[in-house]
Amino acid sequence: MEKFLANLDSSGSFAKKKSDNAGHHHIRSRHTSDSFDIGKSDGQEKVDQQNGSSNDEHLPEEATLPDQFFEEVDRFVNDDHGSKTSEIPKCIDVSFYKMVESMIVKYESKETSSAKFGQNEDQDALFLESLKCISKLINKITTDQFSSRSSNLLSSLNNASIVLHRGMSLLDEEFRLLLDQRRIVLDSKTPRTPKHSSFNFSSQSSQDSDRCLLPDSTESNEDEGFPNFSTEAISNMNKIATAMISCGYEAECCMAYTCFRRNAFREVLNKLGFDSITIDDAHRMQWESLEREIASWISIFKHCYRNLFPGESKFSDAIFSEYPSISQRLFSELAAAVITPFLSFSEVIALTKRSAERLFKFLDMCETLNDLLTTIDDSYSKEISQDLTSEIAVVKSQLAEAAASIFCELENSIKSDQGRTPVPSGQVHPLTRYTMNYLKYACEYRDTLEEVFRFHHKNVGFDDAPNQENHDINEHLTEMPNDDGTPKKSPFAIELIAVMDLLDANLEMKSRLYRDPALRYVFLMNNGRYILQKIKGSNEIHNMMGVTWCRKRSTQLRQYHKNYQRETWSRVLKCISHEGLQANGKVVKAVLKERFKNFNALFEEIHRTQSTWVVSDEQLQSELRVSISAVVTPAYRSFVGRFKQYLEGRSMDKYIKYQPEDIETLIDELFDGNPMSMGRRRN
Amino acid sequence: MPATDYQGSFLGRISIRRNQVMSMEGNHEQELEDLELFQKHVADRFAELAPPSPSQPSDDIPSDPILSIAWIRKLLDVFLCCDAEFKAILIMGRDPSQISKPPLDRLIPEMLDRDVKALDICNAITNGIEAVRHYQKLAEIAVSALEQRPFGDGQVKRARKALTSLITAMACEDKDGANYTRTWSFGRRGAAAAGNNKSTGQLRSLSWSVSKNWSAAKQIHAMSANLVAPRGAEASGLALPVYIMSTILLFVMWTMVATIPCQERSGLATHFPVPKQLVWAQSIIGLHEKIAEEWKKKEKKGSAGLLEEMQKLDKLGQSLIEFTDSFQFPAEDERAEEVSAHLAELGETCRRMEEGLVPLQVQIREVFHRIVRSRAEFLDVLDLNGKSSALAM
Repeated sequence: MEKFLANLDSSGSFAKKKSDNAGHHHIRSRHTSDSFDIGKSDGQEKVDQQNGSSNDEHLPEEATLPDQFFEEVDRFVNDDHGSKTSEIPKCIDVSFYKMVESMIVKYESKETSSAKFGQNEDQDALFLESLKCISKLINKITTDQFSSRSSNLLSSLNNASIVLHRGMSLLDEEFRLLLDQRRIVLDSKTPRTPKHSSFNFSSQSSQDSDRCLLPDSTESNEDEGFPNFSTEAISNMNKIATAMISCGYEAECCMAYTCFRRNAFREVLNKLGFDSITIDDAHRMQWESLEREIASWISIFKHCYRNLFPGESKFSDAIFSEYPSISQRLFSELAAAVITPFLSFSEVIALTKRSAERLFKFLDMCETLNDLLTTIDDSYSKEISQDLTSEIAVVKSQLAEAAASIFCELENSIKSDQGRTPVPSGQVHPLTRYTMNYLKYACEYRDTLEEVFRFHHKNVGFDDAPNQENHDINEHLTEMPNDDGTPKKSPFAIELIAVMDLLDANLEMKSRLYRDPALRYVFLMNNGRYILQKIKGSNEIHNMMGVTWCRKRSTQLRQYHKNYQRETWSRVLKCISHEGLQANGKVVKAVLKERFKNFNALFEEIHRTQSTWVVSDEQLQSELRVSISAVVTPAYRSFVGRFKQYLEGRSMDKYIKYQPEDIETLIDELFDGNPMSMGRRRN
Repeated sequence: MPATDYQGSFLGRISIRRNQVMSMEGNHEQELEDLELFQKHVADRFAELAPPSPSQPSDDIPSDPILSIAWIRKLLDVFLCCDAEFKAILIMGRDPSQISKPPLDRLIPEMLDRDVKALDICNAITNGIEAVRHYQKLAEIAVSALEQRPFGDGQVKRARKALTSLITAMACEDKDGANYTRTWSFGRRGAAAAGNNKSTGQLRSLSWSVSKNWSAAKQIHAMSANLVAPRGAEASGLALPVYIMSTILLFVMWTMVATIPCQERSGLATHFPVPKQLVWAQSIIGLHEKIAEEWKKKEKKGSAGLLEEMQKLDKLGQSLIEFTDSFQFPAEDERAEEVSAHLAELGETCRRMEEGLVPLQVQIREVFHRIVRSRAEFLDVLDLNGKSSALAM
């Protein structure tokens, strides 16, 4: 043994290699005593326990210790003086191959549908170690420049290659059996393999107590049980994969692994209900069904990259613990294979008809893809993570383009909303309600929409540069800084303001459909107030539009208010003006009577019409009433107080139909949308 | 902002655009010239794809064999070029209202419908390339096993296993539809397991993006169903480029389906609905006839796909299996030499696949994205059309 180690030291290799070999040394010693109870016991304690259990081994005639074989092979392989070693030690050529072959035969003859591996760990380790030894031997013979290869050497090579291939075929088959999760489902029903838990995605099986989670996975999340293999199976697969790869069977090993893991994913996805639809189908589908597809797409996809992929990555790391780069490659290829159909699906969606109600689903998908991007980390190979990132970017840009065009569609639908019928009673226009609710909802996707429009402006910006829309945008860009000090409007804010401007313009146009200018102002007030309230009610929009904008809107609303008062009440006030009633220092009764008559008629007329008008916002309604009352009531009271004396008896009742208090009450009936109020009073 | 101002400016912009278009529309001769040129370019580009005829001594540069990966990549390049020129003719500087006039109001939506179908084919082909990569990996195992010197029975057995899997996988690919690869299982137990279907190591198609009942053959059929050459006055108008481009799209998709493993190809039409007298179509028709002939042969024999590299894998694989069957250690020099020639060819084919398949896949994505973009551009024009007419009211 010392010689063996010295040999290693002299080869001056890496520290890691040294420790690996030291590990082998340990395994070898154990085998000697455990499984193949040949020769002397080296004074190890296990002998007694294991004695008898393995005595029925079919042993090579020459009772050479496996350790001795390994040492012989090491000596042969590490000897760089080709001339001396052109002969293979006879014990290897005859006994060693025979020993390995007998092991293979023993494995092959096990009549069991389950894994043959893992029943006797030490024996497995010895077997794998032997195969590695043979592989080393073959490499030595085929790569070294022998002066001449003797026929002895060649036939030894042939024998070695046959044994190795047979051994590898056995391992490959075993690897597949272990990887086959469907088989595990069957096996879990038999008592013989209690450690195998069933492959059950929802993890609600009664065998939960048997479940062996992957190392490091927490109990809290049940889904981390995928892939659901026992630690024992994982350890066996790890040993097999390590042996296959180190013996040059990497291609076969990776192929088997990829096959089974892909199928496993496919099954999981099917169980979860991922149903691929073709682009052709998606185009014929009703939005309602497509919407459902999208919702399920998002939840399944999230589940994949949030829960399944981390488990899968750990799994492949566990199987290929000796080969991190292979593990990384296999995992990322698998993940890419799962992600790709999902990306196709979102491309499919991005291609479908674009209409307003679809915006939010598109944005949901954008957000999911953004979320996915944050999970693409070091567990992915550099190449694949680059490919995926750029592919995701393409899909995102398509979704973003679709989302932007839907949003612009909103602008178009505002522009093209050219109804000729005014909304009765000056109420809030449905377009205002629709637009504001839409915007409020859209603002919940603010970050995503910022991204969408940043992208969109970049694309469109150069297209038709000197047009007037851009001029408008520039206007906004050079606007005064926001109150919080940000100098420029964000891309989405620009769109938002554009929509608001369009809405304003449209409402302005609609307001001109009213013949009564007072009603026109009520309409503008109603809609303006609605818009302002919506904006103040949502932090997102409020922050985006900015305080300055809101202040401007409030000023505008006050202006409408003033205009309304002027249009409606200046004539009334003229009737009760103290001016022009006197001639030669005396009050002219006829004029006074006329004034009262006019006032009554005018006020009744206003009351009749304006109590049918609607101001649905309570605060605005009361503000209006209060401000009207504040102007009209005192003026009327003073008018009545001053000129009442000139009227007597019956004519007083006839001309002063309303007491100042009545006026106040009647004003409080305005904007109620109630056409009957005056009639009711009258009777 | 006062409403009237805004509307004025918007309508003003539209009308400016209109006027520009009007002046361009007047240039009818220019348009005819463009159409003429387009036809010529199409004819030239496809002529370059035609295999050199045996009568003409080929140039020094050996051209890529027809239906090889490199050839398909050229074909896709041609498609991308033609598409760019087509859009330039049909969309740029044109009054959108022309596109909504008959016969384009019918032809364009039909074309957009074909585009959608082509996208599904692109997806299916992308999956098919995965299968081809799998074949490549199997062939590589055989190459690396037999490249060892000296090789023994073990290596020969390893190679044989890989090659048998390869041949079976390629042969089964069509019959099994979606199942494009077979297990690569060793030994008697593997066979037994496959028999009772318990541990079939079959790698089923990963075509999750293609639904189960989808058929490439039917899709191609649907694409060609309403493709009719324009007649009479239409034949010299804008209906012509739409027809040309649709024909090219159909041809490219049909060729890919015939060449690369693809879900459900049985019954793939070999009839190409293009009148023989059309000058621009001569090369396409020639290529089509040639490929259709190969396809018929394939259908009859049930041999591997038309992809040149796959044919190579099939041929070389078969002959190497023969070699492995009769192999006895140690290898005789003669046989070893013969085998190393085949092996070198197989290795070379694998190398070409290694170099070509990924770029081909990337290029198919590019074609996919291009079709998406073109489609979106047409939709935008149609959309704008609807809007401007609404505004003009």
